[in-house]
Amino acid sequence: MTPEYILFSFIISVFSGGAGALLGLGGGVFLVPLLVYTLGVPMHLAAGASILAVIATSSAAAANYVDEELTNIRLGMFLELATTLGAVTGAFLAFASGDDLLQGIFGASLLYASASMFFQMKRTGLAWIPKRNDGIAERLRLSGGYHDKATGENVAYGVDKSPILLGVSYIAGIISGLLGIGGGAIKVPAMNILGGVPMKAAVATSNFMVGVTAAASAMVYIRYGHCDAFITGPVIFGTLIGASIAARYTNRINGSTIKILFIAVLAFIGVKMILTGVGIW
Amino acid sequence: MVERLMESRLSLILRIGVAASAALMAIGLALNLMTGDASYPTGILSVEWILFGDPFLEPSHILFMGFMILLATPVTRIVYSAASFIIRRDYVYATLTSLVLLVLIFSFTMGIRG
Repeated sequence: MTPEYILFSFIISVFSGGAGALLGLGGGVFLVPLLVYTLGVPMHLAAGASILAVIATSSAAAANYVDEELTNIRLGMFLELATTLGAVTGAFLAFASGDDLLQGIFGASLLYASASMFFQMKRTGLAWIPKRNDGIAERLRLSGGYHDKATGENVAYGVDKSPILLGVSYIAGIISGLLGIGGGAIKVPAMNILGGVPMKAAVATSNFMVGVTAAASAMVYIRYGHCDAFITGPVIFGTLIGASIAARYTNRINGSTIKILFIAVLAFIGVKMILTGVGIW
Repeated sequence: MVERLMESRLSLILRIGVAASAALMAIGLALNLMTGDASYPTGILSVEWILFGDPFLEPSHILFMGFMILLATPVTRIVYSAASFIIRRDYVYATLTSLVLLVLIFSFTMGIRG
């Protein structure tokens, strides 16, 4: 382990921690390919480092998001149950099956989510379409609100289609247990488009959940010997710093800017996974 | 108001967890480099070694403890939430969070037993 290696993995991690916190993705989608392709870290150790880094991103950013009331704690707790159950289901299957086809299918659904976010935004000119609480959301008091520092407005919102959100979260959990990524990538669009949750709240709530989902699979990764302390150490430091800095600025950025970034990143991940699925990448 | 108190405590738990794990990792890594500790040369985390390892408080062990605290942070937040929902007699959410905790415990034992 050379000083250059430590420095580069640190820089990569600051970036992925920051981007992960801003987009509610945890950062694994950036971290794993960067570690593998630029530093030559073996795939399984990169995935192991990433699962711990996601916990770091989530915890560091959530401290801020919860303080600023961007995180919808009730919605997070509600969906968390489905996601962790899914993650355990996925972890059972993960080390048993080949997953190229699954990558392709999941990539296609991310591309679909990205496209629906894009066209909804283009059609309406809005980054967020307010909806009312459905029956379950009303009973569970899932509606939320926060002070938007970019516009200076107080935003209040209801949560629609909560049973569908629960189902999507379960699938997201299975996918993240199976592929090591995917939790946030599918929950943020679902909360935003189906549930009517504003982008920043969706990102912060997803970020809140990905730490628990990652914790549910982390022990399995450790068990299989996929977590190397000397690879993961610098990654955790970088991730913590990147996530803490980004989380401080998220509320000052316009929801539509975050959404456009999210759409672009989601489309990129989707295309990459489809290419992996058909064996090109 | 009660909600706000819970939020600020949740945020505090997360901050403490992150700070404690970062501090332990920093100390462990620094001592590791300084002493050239060879008690755990491969660096691959192992649960048995962390829990029952012989070289207690050796540099590598301090480093590994940092990882364990990182892992324990989201779990602690769930435990706190469940407890505070129970105290507030919010039984729907108390049940929800307790179930999440059960799933986590299940996945941890699964991970430890293999």
